[in-house]
Order: sequence, then C-alpha cells, then structure tokens
Amino acid sequence: MSNLKHIIFHLVDDNDIDIAVNSKLLQIAKISENILIYNGAGKFLDFIKSDNADLSVPNVVLLDIMMPNINGFQCLDQLTLMDDKIKRQITVFMVSSSIDRNDIRRAESYDLVEKILEKPLDIYLLKKYLEEVFE
Amino acid sequence: MQEQINILYLDDEEQNLFSFLALFRRDYNVFTTTSAQEAVQYLNSNIVHIIFSDQKMPDVSGVEFFETIRHDFPDAVRILITGYADIEAVIDAINRGQVYRYVTKPWDANELKVCIENAVEKYTRDKELMKKNRELERVNAELEQFVYSASHDMRAPLASIKGVINVAKAEGIDEKSAGYFDMIERSTNRLNDFVTNIIYFYQNTQTDDIDGDVNFDIMLDELIEKYSSYEQAGGIDFSRNIAKTGTFKSDEHRLKMILGNILSNAIKFSDNKKEKRTIDIEIVQNADKAVFKIADNGIGIKSDDLNKIYDMFYPNTDKNAGAGVGLYIVKQAVDKMKGNISVKSEVGIGTRFIVEIPNKA
Repeated sequence: MSNLKHIIFHLVDDNDIDIAVNSKLLQIAKISENILIYNGAGKFLDFIKSDNADLSVPNVVLLDIMMPNINGFQCLDQLTLMDDKIKRQITVFMVSSSIDRNDIRRAESYDLVEKILEKPLDIYLLKKYLEEVFE
Repeated sequence: MQEQINILYLDDEEQNLFSFLALFRRDYNVFTTTSAQEAVQYLNSNIVHIIFSDQKMPDVSGVEFFETIRHDFPDAVRILITGYADIEAVIDAINRGQVYRYVTKPWDANELKVCIENAVEKYTRDKELMKKNRELERVNAELEQFVYSASHDMRAPLASIKGVINVAKAEGIDEKSAGYFDMIERSTNRLNDFVTNIIYFYQNTQTDDIDGDVNFDIMLDELIEKYSSYEQAGGIDFSRNIAKTGTFKSDEHRLKMILGNILSNAIKFSDNKKEKRTIDIEIVQNADKAVFKIADNGIGIKSDDLNKIYDMFYPNTDKNAGAGVGLYIVKQAVDKMKGNISVKSEVGIGTRFIVEIPNKA
C-alpha cells in the first residue's frame, strides 16, 4: 500500500471531464496525490523527456487511445524509442471507451502497456493491478 | 443500346464465317477467325460482348474453347453453333453454365438474329445487375462503417457520464440527489448496453475468432462483478459449479459477450415477487466442448415468445428493459463459433439457457 504513495501519475487525455474524474478517483481511493495532467500526448512526451521528470520513482501513465494530433498508439511508439532509463520507470495503463478488438490487441502488443482498462475507470481494479506490479 | 456491340465468331469453315459476316456486319462489329489462338488474341485486346463458336473443329471443340476463356472473359455471352450429332455435349455444356444457348446448323438467319438480340439483352442486364450489386455492397459497407464508428463515438461521452456518477457517489451525496443519480445511472447503463451490443454485432460480422485459453473462474468473476451493479441485481443469489477437464480454448471476448447477455437478461427479468431470487451457472467442459447452463427462477418467457427471442428487435414488451438486440447477437455469435444454444422456460418458474461451444484446444 505504502509503495503506491510514491507513484507519480500522469493522466493523458484530451477529454477534460475524464481527466477530472480520474484524478478525483485516484484521490478518493487514496492511491496518490502526485497527479500530473496533460490535455494531449505531446505535452506529456515533452515533459517526460525533460529534466522536470522525476525518474527516481515509478511513473504510471493513464493513457487515452483516441486523441487528436498524437493518439495513444503514436504516444506509445514515441515512448518506445526513448532511453531505457526513462522506460524502466514507466508503466502504462491504456484507458479507453473503445471496445474495438483491433485496438485492444494492438495495445496488448506494447511491452510498456501493463493493462487495458475500460472507461469509466474502475479505480479499485486499477488499484489491484498497481499492487500486483509494485508490491 | 447505344454501345457498339462486338461479336467474335470462331469456326473452322470459312464459308460459315463469310455468310455470318454478310448477315450481321451492318448491325454489329463482327470479327471472324478460324483460329482459336487468334480468337483469344482478339479477346485480349477488345471488349467482346458475344462469342459464337462452332462445336466441331479439328484442334479444339467449341465447348473446350469456351472453357479456356470463360474465367478471363466472364462477361461475354457464349453461344455454341452445332450440328444435331453433338447435342449431348451441348446439353452438358449448357447445364454446366459454359454456354448461354446454342444454334443448330444450318442456321436460320432470323433465328440467329433473335439469338443475338437476346444475347445483347442478357449482356446489358447482367452488366446492370452487377453495377447495382456493387453499388449495394458499397452502400452497405458504408452504412456498417457509419453505425460502427457512430456507436464508438457514442460510448466516449457515455463513459464520461458514468465516470462523473462514480465520483459523485464516491464523494458522498445527500439522499435525494443520490436518487436522481441512480436514475441517471440506470438510463446511462441502458443506453450503454444498447450501444455496446451494436458494436458487438458489427464486430461479430466482421472479425474472425481470436482464440486463447479461457479461465472460467476469472471470466465469471468479471461478468458477475460487471452485472451486479444493475438495479435488479441486488439480493440475487449467484451459484456456480465448474467441472473442467484439461484446457479450454476459445474466443474469450465472444464467449463473455454471449454469457454476459444471458446473465444480464437473467438479472433484468428476475422475479421480484419471489423471496429468494437465484441464478445458477454450471459449466461442464471436456476435450470436445464446454456446456454452459444458466438457470434462473425469474419471470420466465411465454411459450409463444420462445421461438422469437433470437429475432432482432423483439423485446419482451412486459418489461421495458432493452431494445431486443441482445439475444439476436448471442445467437449470431454462437453460430459463428459453430456452437449451439437452446432455451427452456416456464412463466413464473424460470428460464434456463444451455450454450455449447466447441473446444479448440
């Protein structure tokens, strides 16, 4: 439980309602207070490469699939190309309202992706997965 | 018919070619030859609408010639010219669809003329039909694509609404508001189920099975967890009984959709008047197949309605619970997986579905 407190959460979604909901749920479930939000994948990718990123602790990304400009898959492609020292500290959960089987299969094919979660986010399911990964 | 009609005539007797040419050169564009090879060359570089061929030729018979060109030039109408002696071969060729019709030798000019006119008509009709078919296929594909993407687009805001409701409930709201939120949630769930089923329906028609090992316990956990948030689900006693031999391999996504739909029906149509409401799930699996039995003590289905439950848009009208696509999709998916589904039901007693799905392990 205590290990989860250190995690920095990155909420990447073009929908501000979903961002608000998911960050609220993380707080209500007392998972973490370290939540960074981005209304597009570009801003997240810039940040994680920058010196401002704290890679001394686990970074968990809740990544939406359908976004304008850079979508979830394109974001994953760019993450995959990054240094191991960044990738080592990143765990991605895809969060999408899509139940398209091709989307799900495609998401599963990325090493960085831990799980694909359906929207609306089941926060206790996410918590269970986080505990499996980090404890 | 404004288009110039091209006719090819193959015959080893030049005399026949001359008289044919004399008869039709004014009305049609006629190409004649004694060589099958030359005929093929002509076909390769010209659009030919009607092909005549003599049956009896030294190198190749008319039927054989048609057989060699049939697949490369399927649109051309093939007519065989033959003496009475070859009638057996001709009947056979017509029955196998190699030729459109035959003309006996010596031909009658009028008969031949009518024959060509009919052939032109057939050619035009076939072309028109093909064009309409292609058009229909295109429109149909567009429509499917539209419904599919529209349904996807609808799910995103629905998921947002459900998310907001979750937050509101988790943060705690007063009793009166909670009642309103419940109503919103119920309506949202219904709309979401409907949209989800439409997506499943199109996925079903478009994609092949994706097989993997299925863990029944985890699958049932997920399904029961998912449907226990339904308003009707509270207080229902779920029991499960799994008898498993070896591994079970199947398309889990499809399986979940099938069982999920049956389960959600069992919940929606549970009988409030009964003291104890139950849903029993039994799975028996061996090397060949898995048999899923889902039995409830719900309100039951009238015998008149039993054979209509798999029809599209046949909702049970007694309870305003759905749009009537669920079981239709279930049946489609079961068929696609080469399985079986049967149902027994009695009003006031309950319903039992039995689904058999082949094991692909």
